[in-house]
Amino acid sequence: MSQFAQQVVLGLLLGGIYVAVALGFSLVWGILNIVNLAHGALVIVGAYITWDLFTRLHVDPFLSLPVDALTLFVIGYALQRGVINRVIRAPLFFTFLLTFGINLVIVSLLLLIFTADFRSVTPSYSGTGLHLGSVIIPYIRLGGLAVALAMAGVLWAILNRTRIGAAILAVGADRDAAQLVGVDLRHIYALTFAIGAAFAGVAGGIISTFQSITPTAGDPYTLQAFAVVILGGLGRVSATIAGGLAFGLIEVLGQSAPGLGSGFANAIAFVVLVLVLVIRPRGLLGRLA
Amino acid sequence: MGLAVLLAACGNSGSGTPAPSTGAPIIFGAAVSLTGSQSKEGGLTKQGYDLWLDWINQRGGILVNNAKHPVQIIYEDDQSNANLSATLVEKLITVEKAQFILGPYGSSATASDAIVVEKDGIPMVESNGAAQSIFSHGYKYTFGVLSPANKYLTGVLDMAATLSPKPTTIAMLAANDNFSLEVAKAVADYAPSKGMQIVFNKSYPAAAPDVSGLISQAKAANPDIVMNSGHLAESIAINKAAKQLGLNAKIFAYSVGPSTPDFISALGADANYVYDGSQWTPQVKYRPSFYLSVADYVKAYQKKYNSTEPPDYHVAESTAGCLAFEKAIENAGSLDPSKVRDALAALDVMTFFGEIKFDSRGINIYKPMVVEQIQSGTHYTVFPAAVANGQPQYPTPTWSSR
Repeated sequence: MSQFAQQVVLGLLLGGIYVAVALGFSLVWGILNIVNLAHGALVIVGAYITWDLFTRLHVDPFLSLPVDALTLFVIGYALQRGVINRVIRAPLFFTFLLTFGINLVIVSLLLLIFTADFRSVTPSYSGTGLHLGSVIIPYIRLGGLAVALAMAGVLWAILNRTRIGAAILAVGADRDAAQLVGVDLRHIYALTFAIGAAFAGVAGGIISTFQSITPTAGDPYTLQAFAVVILGGLGRVSATIAGGLAFGLIEVLGQSAPGLGSGFANAIAFVVLVLVLVIRPRGLLGRLA
Repeated sequence: MGLAVLLAACGNSGSGTPAPSTGAPIIFGAAVSLTGSQSKEGGLTKQGYDLWLDWINQRGGILVNNAKHPVQIIYEDDQSNANLSATLVEKLITVEKAQFILGPYGSSATASDAIVVEKDGIPMVESNGAAQSIFSHGYKYTFGVLSPANKYLTGVLDMAATLSPKPTTIAMLAANDNFSLEVAKAVADYAPSKGMQIVFNKSYPAAAPDVSGLISQAKAANPDIVMNSGHLAESIAINKAAKQLGLNAKIFAYSVGPSTPDFISALGADANYVYDGSQWTPQVKYRPSFYLSVADYVKAYQKKYNSTEPPDYHVAESTAGCLAFEKAIENAGSLDPSKVRDALAALDVMTFFGEIKFDSRGINIYKPMVVEQIQSGTHYTVFPAAVANGQPQYPTPTWSSR
């Protein structure tokens, strides 16, 4: 029983990471209609910034998260304004190709700068945890979940409580109508992408604390973000939270399914994904299109 | 003599005088992972090849029938994709006219390359594919200089059996690739003969970023020995998760990972006490019949790559692959692929890497694996005692008492 409780806790903690990764991905997809295949690479850029600050200046990984956010915000803004904006109205296929290419470029640049060595951020408290009976909650993972939920809160507040957020949502709903009422489309596009990138950077900072990072370590996260958005549904912050936590739970519980190697965990997770698509195509909490 | 005339007729400048002349360059091809998830290991492979390349060319090349042939290695990047590797080897042979193939990184890529070299009749010496399944198809043109996968962690069990109090239970984790599963199966088969039993045995998807669920299950089995058969990224993740979840074992042993400097730099003090099975360590005491001694090899590596770290075994085994080719080509006295192939099959030399000799399948079963342990941030060879320069620190203290 306590073993099951431990698995559930670990599933939720892993789900928190997926929430953090998927928030920015979902925003960019929902508003700009771009499935950003470079999202995982942006995550890893954030991870490297945290690693660099930690190894060189001994900055606590959680304190470096704002730096990740700010740096990735600038990179994201420039990337959208300078490159992606050129295909913003092109068919989805072009945006796929472009973001795939951007992914390759970022990964190769990281390889040049940081080499393929495995990097890891290991602060002094990395092995400690909260003991609730026989269930252990590692502090660093708990911190990751807390940051993910805080990020979700910030995104919700931006979208629903600020003028910028209203403009972003308006562009997502109908870009031509938004332009008619005076929204600066190019700025809002770039801003949306920048926010998405900033969130990716923060997610990367969290990831660097429990996983070793290499330039290619982001690729699985693009796939996972995609799965989380499909599972939860597009267009709502709460849907990303539900999708992320559910995906983490399914993966960890799938690992412990008796008789199966955890090699099947991914298969189980994606079978659930397909079932959701069949039964509830808009995702667990997604809006109707 | 007739052959020398023939070589001269083929455009070589062999003149038949006793002083060695310069022959046409020998072209080696290698498809290694320079980008992608295995770019670290692929880079180490290339370092090993290049180290030998410099050395042999400084000496004018490989001596074949009194002509010294300089060596070229043409590299392709397989992007850590085993299927792409085979395509690139085909390209190396047909387009780049590579006469001999040096192996890629990893068992999966090696297995697919073996099919290509067999079809084309081009010898391949591989240094980084330890799965025995590569050699179970009766191939004639693939040779591996490294000890096969089934030996990777069984040395740790041999060592464990000598320790007191003797550990008796094993949790075995394995990545879902053919090399890692072979290592894990060998442990499961071998453990009973040492009076040990497997109490937990699960595989996970290769390159899994999160293993905490698996570690918490392993913890419930309360094992004396935690073994992982996988790669560097997973061994780091498992060690981190073991600490976070308080999985205390007397022995932590990982097949691949701890021997690299990255493992220590990524984990810091948490890397201490970890064991690994290693193809080679800079401390081994072999007496090579040619090329460099172990100490000179370490120096040559540090000079070329401007490093204070000694080379890890991926580098050494890759260099050893080149040495096998060098000796076999010399012994064959010919660049004919089938003659070099026969010379490889008959090869028996002692190098800084250990004995290189192939069984009928093409596997080097004659070189032992050694066991290393990280102690206070430094690698020590702790088993077998004949080549060891340290004692095992046993048992591993609990995480909370470190």
